[in-house]
Amino acid sequence: MYSEILANEHEKHEKIIGTLSKRFTTYGYKRIKTSAFEQYDLYSNVRTSINQNEMVKVIDYTGEVLVLRPDVTIPLTQQLVQLNGNLPEEMRYYYVQEVFRQTFQENEPIGKTQAGVEYYCESSPQADAETIMLACHALRDVGFSDVKIEIGYAGFFTELIADLQLTKEQTAELKRLIQAKNIVGIGPFLNQLPIDPAVKEVLEQLPLLYGAPQVVFDRLQNLQVSESVQLAIDYLQKTYEIVELYGLKKHIVIDLGLINHMGYYSGIIFQGYVENFGKPVLMGGRYDSLSEEFGVKLPAIGFACEIDSLVKATAKKKLKERYSIDVTVFYQESRMKYAIDIANELRERDYRVVSKPLRGQASAKDSEYTIQLLEQQNLLADVEETKEFEDFKQLLDSITSKKGVPEWTI
Amino acid sequence: MDYLTVAMAKGRTAERAMKFLGKSDVRFSEWTDDSRKLVIYDDKKKIKLIFVKAVDVPVYVENGAADVGIVGKDVMMEDPRDVYELLDLGIGKCKLAVAGFPDTPIDNVPFLTVASKYPLVAKEYFDKKGIRTEMIKLNGSIELAPLIGMSDVIVDIVETGTTLKENGLVVLEEMADVSARLIVNKASYATKTEDIQQFIQDMKEGLEVCS
Repeated sequence: MYSEILANEHEKHEKIIGTLSKRFTTYGYKRIKTSAFEQYDLYSNVRTSINQNEMVKVIDYTGEVLVLRPDVTIPLTQQLVQLNGNLPEEMRYYYVQEVFRQTFQENEPIGKTQAGVEYYCESSPQADAETIMLACHALRDVGFSDVKIEIGYAGFFTELIADLQLTKEQTAELKRLIQAKNIVGIGPFLNQLPIDPAVKEVLEQLPLLYGAPQVVFDRLQNLQVSESVQLAIDYLQKTYEIVELYGLKKHIVIDLGLINHMGYYSGIIFQGYVENFGKPVLMGGRYDSLSEEFGVKLPAIGFACEIDSLVKATAKKKLKERYSIDVTVFYQESRMKYAIDIANELRERDYRVVSKPLRGQASAKDSEYTIQLLEQQNLLADVEETKEFEDFKQLLDSITSKKGVPEWTI
Repeated sequence: MDYLTVAMAKGRTAERAMKFLGKSDVRFSEWTDDSRKLVIYDDKKKIKLIFVKAVDVPVYVENGAADVGIVGKDVMMEDPRDVYELLDLGIGKCKLAVAGFPDTPIDNVPFLTVASKYPLVAKEYFDKKGIRTEMIKLNGSIELAPLIGMSDVIVDIVETGTTLKENGLVVLEEMADVSARLIVNKASYATKTEDIQQFIQDMKEGLEVCS
């Protein structure tokens, strides 16, 4: 039934939000909200990759142009800058909000729910590693087993090409080749340009600087790089060493060909992937330079994930849960009072309960247990067996002994 | 068991790709030349081949419906997708070229009408030359367009040039080399790194043995 599918989707949506919020809270993050409308000017003044054509614009009664919240990071940072100026002490915030962008693809909804964290703190491998850990932890909580976090460094590519004096078109072409890991194309492209052979070698190697961290760091050792690039590598390596302490080794992939996708990222950047889903489900990075556009220093790292993508990614998994109801209570009219009591008691204990008068067959196929309250006896049935019970305590015992606490609660 | 899903179009390129894999002991006994199957598995049940239309290969790969795809560079040029392009298979070699009647001027002209299966690539090419164009998108028998006067020139892939010759056309200018590429979904490359690198290795070995 379509309505049923829809209801399941929404329920999953809510569950995932619950799971993520809970995990963010355990890392000390507090929930915040930002306004639904933001000033259009805010977005035209800041370097960001959000296409202004994609924003949904509104005009207020004074004629000022507003946009429906296209992202959370930028207005939040602006707000904190106005409140605090430079970083007074570290701050941790998370949000679950709709963001609105019109894409040119049909079938794409304009509003999408994003859940994310923003950690305002001095740039350090410790802080970055913890944020990556949180990203991984949150995805595992949602129920994915094969979580992969790809880590790169936003400044790496920019530093490499800093001295090359490429035109805008050449830079774009080179970016495209590196993003596609197009080993075949990079060599001939670089050959047309008058560049330092050492830099050329590193650029050619970029697509291969991908994979298990140790392999990548070993490969990097054989490459000659400038001092500033080496600093970036050292930072990345230190961050990874801490990530390893968190026990995440098998979840990490280093990708130095990962290129800044948000415009304002400056250090570590990362993307999360899960099994059987073709797109990243989580994106984040350090954005120390964003606050500098507002004239202060408020360094930060953060990430966001789209709940709809997570719902879709979980849809491909076999559902753990086959029943949408835990217990259905059928009662004969004379036992109504007792039925209400049982239903209330079970609901208090977080079971999902439906009760209805017994008319004809006592069967409910989407319910794990059915209870029948007849004139002379009380019956509890599941797929395997039917047995009698005397009182509520006995009933609860037989349910918890088999089923434990309700499995749907997170 | 999780398969590595590989998308390609039926035809010569697919057959050669399977031959390469055969050298690395990845065999598809299920497959026969006249088979109409759209999904086949290799004998060790590690790889699942799906046959799709060539222009759809990048779509399957970008969306993760296939982990790996084998597709001509021409398709990738016309419809760039957010995927990795890891290997040039060096098969299905041909050229993307401007063709037309001999002596048709294509430099220092203000305007051209161009018929092509690749309107975006063609437009960008002439834009760079500073020539305004009108594009006519066709899906086949492109050579017909100049013959009946619908376009000045065509932009198409040319392998041997026989079709052009028989219709009185010639290559006026070569635009790019085209060959089959191995493309990979970005998420799959992260979650199935080893399987994919093994597949690429198998392909490479096959390439070396055959060439």
